[in-house]
Amino acid sequence: MRILLVEDEKKVADIIVRGLKAERYAVDVCHDGQSGWEAADTYNYDLILLDLMLPGLSGTEILEKVRRKNQQVPILILTARDGMADKIKNFETGADDYLTKPFAFAELLLRVKALLRRGPVNRSSVLRVGDLEIDRLSQNVRRAGKKIELTSKEYSLLEYLATHPGRVFSRTMIIEHVWDQSFQGLTNIVDVYVRHLREKVDDAFPVKLLRTVRGVGYSLNDETQT
Amino acid sequence: MNTRSISVRLVAWYAGLLTGIFVLLCALLYLDLRHFLENDLRQSQSRRARQLANTLLVHVKQTGEAYVASQTKDWYEPEINDRFIRITRADGTLVYVSDAPKDGSFDPAEVPIFPPSSQTEFSRKLQLSGGKTLLIAALNFKSSGNPAYLVEFGELLDPVETMLNHLFLQLALGLPLAVVIIAVGGYLLVRRALTPVEQITRAAERITQYNLSERLPVSSTGDELERLSVSLNRMITRLDDAFQNSKRFVADASHELRTPLTILCGELENIAEDPRFDGELRDRAGSMLEEAVHLGRIVEQLFTLSRLDAGEAQTEWTRFDLSELAKTTADQMSLLAEDKKISIACDAHRPILVEGDRARLKQVVVNLLDNAIKYTPAKGTIQLRVLAVNGHAILEVADNGVGIPSDALPHVFERFYRVDQTRADGSESAGLGLSIVKSICTAHGAEVEAQSTVGRGSCFRVKLRLSQN
Repeated sequence: MRILLVEDEKKVADIIVRGLKAERYAVDVCHDGQSGWEAADTYNYDLILLDLMLPGLSGTEILEKVRRKNQQVPILILTARDGMADKIKNFETGADDYLTKPFAFAELLLRVKALLRRGPVNRSSVLRVGDLEIDRLSQNVRRAGKKIELTSKEYSLLEYLATHPGRVFSRTMIIEHVWDQSFQGLTNIVDVYVRHLREKVDDAFPVKLLRTVRGVGYSLNDETQT
Repeated sequence: MNTRSISVRLVAWYAGLLTGIFVLLCALLYLDLRHFLENDLRQSQSRRARQLANTLLVHVKQTGEAYVASQTKDWYEPEINDRFIRITRADGTLVYVSDAPKDGSFDPAEVPIFPPSSQTEFSRKLQLSGGKTLLIAALNFKSSGNPAYLVEFGELLDPVETMLNHLFLQLALGLPLAVVIIAVGGYLLVRRALTPVEQITRAAERITQYNLSERLPVSSTGDELERLSVSLNRMITRLDDAFQNSKRFVADASHELRTPLTILCGELENIAEDPRFDGELRDRAGSMLEEAVHLGRIVEQLFTLSRLDAGEAQTEWTRFDLSELAKTTADQMSLLAEDKKISIACDAHRPILVEGDRARLKQVVVNLLDNAIKYTPAKGTIQLRVLAVNGHAILEVADNGVGIPSDALPHVFERFYRVDQTRADGSESAGLGLSIVKSICTAHGAEVEAQSTVGRGSCFRVKLRLSQN
């Protein structure tokens, strides 16, 4: 898998490259619009990460040029501008996803994976983490064969964490996915729900699945298996 | 009518001054005329007395007193001319007294014999029965070789009194009328002159931080008012510039902070998650990351505010049920309340349709509920109500929490304002939640107000136009 990153902020580019390389992706970096467009035009990339504010050619211009030649390659926009009008305009031009700075790398990675696979990351109807089983069709949750009753929000939260076992989800990602934009800034709601979820999912069992990563967020995984 | 307004005060001052001057002038005129007419009458009487004395009494020795009496009656015909004539000797005995006048206006017998006087000429006023006044001019006639006589000529003051009364009546009626005309005319004139001031006042009232691009009307009359409105307009321009600058600053600053924040968060995230680092370092990086994320959230909220200021809420305008929105939001937040053992009572049963940006208005409900939960102690209650009153949808969030002191109440919607400056609530909010509420409401043409009693709770009320049709 080969990814092109067009980002003029070298430090931001460094972090993304380092993170993506750790996930075993091949990454090319361009620091200005012109070389970004040339790279995108020359090689066949599986994904393009595009900053909007670039010296030379702007991100929107690159987006237009790329789309005129290549309809297939997924493009993820990274931007410090998050006006509604900008977002709509870029989606109309052919952007596949949009991420506003500052973002958590965990979130970028999730979106990159989603775009590369095109579609939901995990499509199986039953998610398994350790001895926890989540049936996505009936929304039944069992642990060690014992049924656990969850409210609908608790279920959404657990299911979301279970889509990527071991991956850390930031509070912002959780809020956007389980609640909506309006709850932005109300991160303590995530903490309260995770605590309730813990009481139901983990308290009665010796192996704890819900993990808190300080400052980053929450993840669901069975550490005994990794 | 405002009694403190310039027009009223000006007219009152002028009318008062004019009334004073008029009353003074009229009083002077009246008294002067009265004095003049009485004096004139007195002089004509004493002239006649002198005439009589010089023509008849000087020859009394030769002619005898009877001749004087008969001549006096013939010459002066006092009965026809309504006059009183009396000639008395020095001892007070009568030589002649006129008969009652033909019109019977007075009776000469009523006039007493006055005690002798040393003055040669004098006059006196005599009140007669029937309210009439007789003006009598008297002459003490003494000449060598003749006995002394007192000659008295009198005439009623009535015609003078009647004329004066008539004048008084006219002045008394005319003066208030003149004052009323002056006051009304003056008021209308002043009002007309001050109309531009009214217009400027009304236009100035309409200008708020959201329509600073508007200007006051300028009347091109070249007077002081034109100068005033031009100066005020220049001031508004300066305010507008300052306001735009501060808004642009917030927008630019929050924008410029994004990239360094991305780097900061990214690096810290790397450290916090990298198993090669030891636990304590990762924990500290996590702690820093928490603060960086918090900083990012403040930047985000500031950016939201500057976008609302720029009027961006209008992009996603839909029609929806505010009751339903309130209910689902309260439901989504119920666990947060339950966690503090606070109950949320939701009274939103009738569908109430409004128009607006649904996500933004949801944020209003979220922020108000979050605020209420934060400032209500355990086992408190929060009332969420949605109702329609007079063409407006009302959303009300009331709690029985700590309340807001009255001196802090006007500031709760200000950016970064905190009622409790010590952050004793332990929350990490930056004090932007309520200003976002206010900005969203303003962008929707809605009003938001807060009422509160310390120790009894607060009530936030949003008033939004109902959807037409």
